[in-house]
Amino acid sequence: MMASLVEEAAQIHAQGLESNLQGGGIDEELELYQPFQKDQITLPEEVQCMAVKTLLHMCKIPFSLRLRANAENMSPSGGVPFIKVGPQIVSEFDPIVEYLDLKGISLSRELSGSQRSEMKAYMALTVNRLYSAEVYLSWCCETIANKVTKPRYGAPYPWPLNKLLPWYKQREAKKYLKVQGWLEKSQDEVYEELKMACKALSDKLDDQYYFFLDRPSELDALVFGHLYSLLTFQLIDDKMADIVNSFPTLTRFVERIQENYFIAPEMDDV
Amino acid sequence: MEVASGHNMSGHHHHHKHRREETTFDGSNYVKVEHIKVQGLDKTKNDFVVHQCKDLLKAATFKDVILSCQEVKQKLEQANIFKTVSVLIDTSKGPGVSKDGLDVIFKVKEGRRYSASAHTAIGNNEGSLVLGGKVGNVFGRAERLSLEYSRGSRQSTGYNLTFSKPVFNELSKRLTVQGFKSSGEYLLSSFREIGRGAYVDYTFPGPLGLQSLRWEGVWRELSCLTRASSFPVREQCGHSLKSSLKHIFARDTRDEPVCPSRGYLVKLSQEFAGYTGGDVKFVKGEGELQLNQYLFWDIVFSCSLQGGLMKAMDGNQARINDRFFLGGPTDVRGFNFRGIGPQDSGNFLGAESYWAAGVHLYSPLPFNPGKGRWGDLFRMHAFANAGNLCNVNLDNPNFPDQLRKLQENVRWSYGAGMLLRIGRVARFELNYCIPKAAQPTDSIVSGVQFGVGVSFL
Repeated sequence: MMASLVEEAAQIHAQGLESNLQGGGIDEELELYQPFQKDQITLPEEVQCMAVKTLLHMCKIPFSLRLRANAENMSPSGGVPFIKVGPQIVSEFDPIVEYLDLKGISLSRELSGSQRSEMKAYMALTVNRLYSAEVYLSWCCETIANKVTKPRYGAPYPWPLNKLLPWYKQREAKKYLKVQGWLEKSQDEVYEELKMACKALSDKLDDQYYFFLDRPSELDALVFGHLYSLLTFQLIDDKMADIVNSFPTLTRFVERIQENYFIAPEMDDV
Repeated sequence: MEVASGHNMSGHHHHHKHRREETTFDGSNYVKVEHIKVQGLDKTKNDFVVHQCKDLLKAATFKDVILSCQEVKQKLEQANIFKTVSVLIDTSKGPGVSKDGLDVIFKVKEGRRYSASAHTAIGNNEGSLVLGGKVGNVFGRAERLSLEYSRGSRQSTGYNLTFSKPVFNELSKRLTVQGFKSSGEYLLSSFREIGRGAYVDYTFPGPLGLQSLRWEGVWRELSCLTRASSFPVREQCGHSLKSSLKHIFARDTRDEPVCPSRGYLVKLSQEFAGYTGGDVKFVKGEGELQLNQYLFWDIVFSCSLQGGLMKAMDGNQARINDRFFLGGPTDVRGFNFRGIGPQDSGNFLGAESYWAAGVHLYSPLPFNPGKGRWGDLFRMHAFANAGNLCNVNLDNPNFPDQLRKLQENVRWSYGAGMLLRIGRVARFELNYCIPKAAQPTDSIVSGVQFGVGVSFL
């Protein structure tokens, strides 16, 4: 496993250097830290990392991707991914958006006040619902948790940590869901929630290219992160992908963003 | 409990000799221990006590018996299970006993088996409060079971459950099993470490000194103390599992450990991590030497030398929580605790090799007030100490060149101060330090430095 991780790291490092040559709005090199993609990262983490990467691509900020097995522990907030610019470290999607805004880089600058608050509402409500559904399915759906999430989460560690740490993480996930009021839901109810969130997004998007105006906003980056991961992340069944696939507006949206912001070889890798 | 010796030929032989010399009594008259009685046993098992008394049956003269009784008494006391031990020697009585027969009676009183305690303990550079409960003589063979919780002055906490027992009833050989959790904060390195683990330790006397063999398994969790922790420290955060085999050799001829006046200490340890599991792989060796020489007027000259070298065996640099650190008020004085060596943005990172040396001249307080009483708790000393901590590349074929790095940028300081001993293991030191050589990034203490510790350079 180590060999493949090292290989992956080297490959992505090389790509990072390439994309760096394009130049960008931040003077210093921006590094993005996340867990290993092939055999470690879990679905909710993958979603967050994909969203931030999309955001950076949309802002045309070059970055180098750094894969670390302990990325979660390195992050000051305990969440992945995090970015490092010089001595500064910022973790997770919202703070990264704020940080970029402070540096004068913002996707939603041209939105009107009401549009911006609408965007915030979608980010908070709809996208949060997607996130809770992902956490639920990853950690509380027994078959997925035992066959996919736990083995992946424990992959970098030796026995018995590879059993203990996923178990702790699962407890944490359940605590989060309990606070959100999701723990009592049944699996079918969660799939229903997922469907409703997709429907809300599909209705909002309608036949537009992006959610607001003719340009991408933070919402587009975040939604793409979720939908792309739901469509491609290898779980034991395709139920989640099938739900997203039942909304052609959304699949077309994913294809569009993918074509516009990701170069083909990078997509193969992620 | 009674132990009866078998009648043997030598017993009769002694009998004849004794008759010839019965006029004088200098303790060399031949006797034979017929019975050993131990009175007052309740929980303690017979075989354990028999083992401690065995040698007494070999005593051939009255002097031997007395000395041997003393030894047995000491052993029984050392087992730490009896409140009192007294000895009574009597001539044998009853039918069929020989004229020179002796009966030895040990009267013991078993101590309380359960005890609770609250006390303060001193660690290196830290004091802590320890709460604990103990069960002595658990299965009747001087086993000990204890549970301790400690809370230190520097945010460290820990608890442990320890069971130890003599091996083959031999008090000098001890097997110890411990499960523990500990946490500590390292301010100058800006990280916090939580360790959960267990060890099995077998300590026994070897021909040259005390030997310990130990297996240790620890799950370590490292996290940054602040958001501003430097990136090389941040990169070390996360979980690791260390499984290591360790051998420790110690020969200690000092008259006492805190303020010795004569004798020497040699301590060597080797640790092999990662060969029995876990994801931390290194080989580590450390050595310590301390010599003490009494000069005159209670003035003692002492010098010590310490060193360590390690190599990570998995191709990376050793983890920060496995590396060596140097500096501190009971270490290389004139520097802050762990404040020497490689660092990044003010966070000390430790290194894979170090050495440190110190010379001291200890004396009693001027005019020796309170001699034999409180005055003995105090000492004055003048010292000079030096050391270096750096990374050497052991893969480099030019080995001597690498070790030469340890001779470059040597830190040293000198000073004088006063020390106060606490109990039999720890001491406070109040020193005035003058650092003479340091690197610009070192964290130095010029002037008064206060320290407390259990091991000293």
